[in-house]
Amino acid sequence: MKKVFIEGAISSEFIADSIAKHQSKHSIGAHNIFLGQVRADQVEDQKVVAIEYTAYEEMANEKLHEIRESAFEKFDLTCLHIYHSLGTVKVGEICIFVFVSSKRRKQVYEATEYLVNQVKEHVPIFGKEILDNAEHQWKVNS
Amino acid sequence: MITVNYFGNIAEAAQSDSETLEYNTLSLAELLDLLDSKYAIGKFPFQVAVNRKIVSKQQILSLSDSDEIALLPPFAGG
Repeated sequence: MKKVFIEGAISSEFIADSIAKHQSKHSIGAHNIFLGQVRADQVEDQKVVAIEYTAYEEMANEKLHEIRESAFEKFDLTCLHIYHSLGTVKVGEICIFVFVSSKRRKQVYEATEYLVNQVKEHVPIFGKEILDNAEHQWKVNS
Repeated sequence: MITVNYFGNIAEAAQSDSETLEYNTLSLAELLDLLDSKYAIGKFPFQVAVNRKIVSKQQILSLSDSDEIALLPPFAGG
């Protein structure tokens, strides 16, 4: 089972390091990356300042494994990585990192879109949006 | 014993992330009625997972000892 969950925000160093690790895989000709960033949504007269993520980790890991397998069946990929934050991620920080690699370009765009949609729809991750008056509401994917 | 895990706003309503219920067998409908009477979960949108698989709330299902139930509010990953 690949490790997906990372405590706190996903750092730019972590992302850069992930890219560098692929330089030794010489069959790859195209990478595509999706980064999700926490947005300062307006909620009436308050703003979101952070999201606290929790997950049903056992089920989430099983689901993510199925999603990975299905992506390898649907697309001609060399490798793929999904990372998602748990705990507090402030606005402007990265909470999801999807990294898809293939021989050629076309497959990586489609696969990235597929993976992000699958994660949003099927993986039991929950987000508590913290507002600047310290109240909160529960995020729902639209 | 049946284990029930709570997440998001349902964990807030239950004031707990999980509890074990002293039943050896119970139907899914009976469990949901019981939890609604304890925590008024009926007012929240949620899905049910049994042993980490989503099942319909209407499914006629007999829960037994060692089953792991989870009440899952709308997902918010990504």
